[in-house]
Order: sequence, then C-alpha cells, then structure tokens
Amino acid sequence: MKYSYITPRRKSILTKEIQLLLTFFTITIVMLFVTYFFLVIKDYNYIENMNEIAVSRLDLESNIKTMKSEITFIEKKNLLAQKIYTKNTVLKDSITNLFDLVPQRITLSEAKLLENGLILYGVTPNKDVYNFMLQAPLRSIFHRTYSSFYPAENGWLRFVSTNYVDEELRLSEEVYSED
Amino acid sequence: MKIRISRQHIYLLSMLSFLLVFVLLFSFLVLIPKGKEYREDRVEYKKEARELRRYQNFHNEIEEKLKTLQAENRHIITAFDTAFNQERFEKQHRNYFSSLTVSRLLNTSVEDGFVSYEVNTTSEISSPKSFYDFLDAVNKSDWIIAVEFPINFKRDNEMIKSSFTMKVYGLNKETNTTKKVVE
Repeated sequence: MKYSYITPRRKSILTKEIQLLLTFFTITIVMLFVTYFFLVIKDYNYIENMNEIAVSRLDLESNIKTMKSEITFIEKKNLLAQKIYTKNTVLKDSITNLFDLVPQRITLSEAKLLENGLILYGVTPNKDVYNFMLQAPLRSIFHRTYSSFYPAENGWLRFVSTNYVDEELRLSEEVYSED
Repeated sequence: MKIRISRQHIYLLSMLSFLLVFVLLFSFLVLIPKGKEYREDRVEYKKEARELRRYQNFHNEIEEKLKTLQAENRHIITAFDTAFNQERFEKQHRNYFSSLTVSRLLNTSVEDGFVSYEVNTTSEISSPKSFYDFLDAVNKSDWIIAVEFPINFKRDNEMIKSSFTMKVYGLNKETNTTKKVVE
C-alpha cells in the first residue's frame, strides 16, 4: 500500500553539513600531518648534518694539529739551517779578514784557525815589520797575543804568533757595546 | 520549553567535537613541541655550521702557511732529508780544489730531532779565493753542512794544503718516526 505519490529520496549519512565538515577537517588534518612530516624530515636532516659536521671538525682538528707540528718542525729546520749558513758566511769573512790582515812583506807558511784563537807561522824581514804591521792589528782583535821568533836561513826571522780570545772578556765587551 | 535536536545534528556535533579535539591535541601535544625542537636544532645546526666554517678557514690558513713555508724552504727540507754521499760531495766541489779527499768519521751526535756527524776534509787550493768560493757553495749544496774549527792552512810550494772538519746535519729518523707513531 502506497502512502505517497512521490518516490522517496535516498537518505545518506553524508549530509551536506557533514561533507563540509569532513572536507574542512580533512584539509586541516592533512596540512597538520604534512607540516609534522616536514618538521620530522628537516629535523632528521639537521641532526645528520650536525653529526657530519662533528666528524669533519674532528678531521680538521687532527689535520690542523699535524700541520702545526709540521710547521714547527720546518721552522726549526730553517732556523738551524740559517744558523749554519750564517756561521759559514762569518767563517768566510773571518778568513778573508785574516788574509787581508797579513801585509805584503810578511809571508805566512801556516795558519791554524781555532774556535777561540789563531796561530800563525811565517817569515818576516825583521821584528819591527812584524810588530807594526801584523802584531798591532792582531792585538786589537785578540785579548792575548804571544809571539816568538827564531832566525831563518836567509837572515829573515821566522815567527810563531799565538792569539786567543777570552770568552768572558768577549761577552762583557758585547754587553758593554750593547749598552 | 523543550529543545529538540535531531539525531543528525547530534552526530554532526559529536564529530565536530571529536575532530576539533583531535586537531587541538595533535597541534599542542605533537606539532608545537616538534616545531620547537626543529627550531632549536636549526639554531644549533647553524651555530655548528658557522663554527665549522671558521675551523675550515683556520685550516685553510694553516695549510696555506704550510705550503708557503714548504715552497720557501724546499732546498732546506730536501737538504735535511738527503743522506750524505761522499762521492757526490767530492764530485760537486772538486772544481774549487786542486785535490779533495773526504772521509767520514763516526762521531755522531743527536740533538733535538737532528743528527749530525763529522766529515774530515783534506784538500789543496791554489789561492784562498777558492776556499771562499767553496764556503759559498757549501751553503747551496745538497746537504746542510757547517764548516767547523780548527781549520789549518799550510803552504806547500805554490799550493795551500788545507784540512778542516765539516759537520753534516740530517734528520733523526728514529725520533721523527716515534713522534709520528705517538701522534
């Protein structure tokens, strides 16, 4: 038995209001989840990067330490080498000065250069030439100068000149000149 | 007065409340703390990255300094690493002397990472100038050599016989190896 002349409309649980509500909340929840996952991924990346930074930093630290010790060693090498080069140059100047010091009239037969002294063997025409032309400049350089003579075959004099620098006096002279 | 709410509306209201509570709880209990954590980690990361850049710059500066030092002192570094070779020394410096004999002594001393041993030299020169040239050449030779006292010059007819000791410096391989192992 029919009570109505129209066909009944289908009733759905998803009414217009519920659809609107669900759409709104779906969008909201999706946005919240997307934001959450974005934060999780970014955060994970930051933590990963920080771990990488820590490893790189350790590497850099160890590299810096190695390079610093290498630099120190090269500086040490350079310092020693420069000291040796200077010593050789000073030695060359000392020998040049020594040979320049000997006048034409005096002939050297032997020269011994010591750490703190100089021993010269040679021939001089007479004592005066030796005293004025060789001993005088030697006295100005060395603190102690000893000379001995003995006759040579041609009437000249053979001499042995022993000269020493006293280390203590040299040091005190250096201090005095610095003042 | 009686308020009549339809069943439909009750469903709607309960769903609305449930979803609203869920959104609020999720936001306040999960999303906001995570955001806070993210922000802190970002600040920390930026700080670490800045620190790393500073370290990297410092590292580059040191590396640059080391390279410059190595380039400037290449001769000295190589000279310290080169083992003394009598034949080569004689060959290189023979032209300064009329005759040159080098004999290695066993007097070795170790000092502060360096080892040095003495070499005895006897030679003949025609004039002191040759000896000066030799002293200049020693500073440019393949080894680090110091000419030591005593130096003897003795006239022998037209020639001058000279004898002197040289100190050859090298690296103390044992100490340096130990140092590297310890590092």
